[in-house]
Amino acid sequence: MRLNLARTLPRSAANGPGERFVVWVQGCPLGCRGCWNPDTWAFRRREVTEVADLVARIRATPGIEGVTFTGGEPFAQARALAEVGRAVRAAGLSVFVFSGYELAELATEAHRALLAATDVLVAGRYVESDRAEGLPWRGSSNQRVHFLTARYGPAALDDAAEVEFHIDPDGSLTVTGFPRSSLLLGEH
Amino acid sequence: MSAYLRLMTPMIDRECLLAALADLGFDGTKVEIHEAPVALVGYQGDGRAQTANVVIRRQHLGAASNDIGFLATPTGYQAIVSDYDRARFGDGWLAQLVARYEAHRQVKQERLAAEERRRAEEERRRLVEAQRQAVYERAKKMGYRVTETREGETVRLVLVKRTY
Repeated sequence: MRLNLARTLPRSAANGPGERFVVWVQGCPLGCRGCWNPDTWAFRRREVTEVADLVARIRATPGIEGVTFTGGEPFAQARALAEVGRAVRAAGLSVFVFSGYELAELATEAHRALLAATDVLVAGRYVESDRAEGLPWRGSSNQRVHFLTARYGPAALDDAAEVEFHIDPDGSLTVTGFPRSSLLLGEH
Repeated sequence: MSAYLRLMTPMIDRECLLAALADLGFDGTKVEIHEAPVALVGYQGDGRAQTANVVIRRQHLGAASNDIGFLATPTGYQAIVSDYDRARFGDGWLAQLVARYEAHRQVKQERLAAEERRRAEEERRRLVEAQRQAVYERAKKMGYRVTETREGETVRLVLVKRTY
């Protein structure tokens, strides 16, 4: 089974609790206005990878406590991600998913398979008019954090990193997480 | 009048040519350098038709010698050695000169490459540090706690603002 990915980041502390391997999938049917990652909307071939290969990469990454699926819309590739989720959980890692769907909308068999392999789900459209800065793991105030297993609870929100910067050797800057506008635009 | 022969030598770098000549006993006190080529002079003080940019005058060569010259051409310096002087400054001497030239050229190439690499590395480090400082300063002004880690050569700055 294969996945179409937009990109991966082997280590991030701003995409869920602890250090995580982050997977941005390619393709989203929702297209929320103001989304951070519109380049991930189109259902076009980008970085196609076998589930087993992705699992191997995740398991080979030292010092992470879990994997995060974001995008794009993870539930648009639910069946393959469920397989990844099951495999990494079997290795002791946790699974965190950002989705634009409400929990109640995730009703298909494939959706349920991914939910069954998920520890924390952040659910709901990004609503630009409800943009909320400083809300852990969420971009707008309508979004909800669902702790689907006992692995994490609300206390995990307390120390959540908002954002992180990666400065590559060539000086280029990557930002991930939930950056406040003023952090990016230089407004103080 | 003895003949002049032009011997092609694959020498393009004047600095290295001068260093090679110095190695063979013709240092800066014995070599003339001209941006525009000048006429060489024969053993009787006669001006020759041949011209050169780097000249060893006959006084430094021998009583019956003619000037030796090196003419800058698009394909490198061409040695101009008279038929008479080829006995001492012929193929064997030129081979030594070219060998010394190549040695100096090699050293210079390595030095330049090292300098270029060093400049690029300094520029890269300066850029990374400037980016790091900019993120730090902005994060500090906004009240974030910043944790810095390194993944290989990538610097990672994690910004946390406690929510309780």
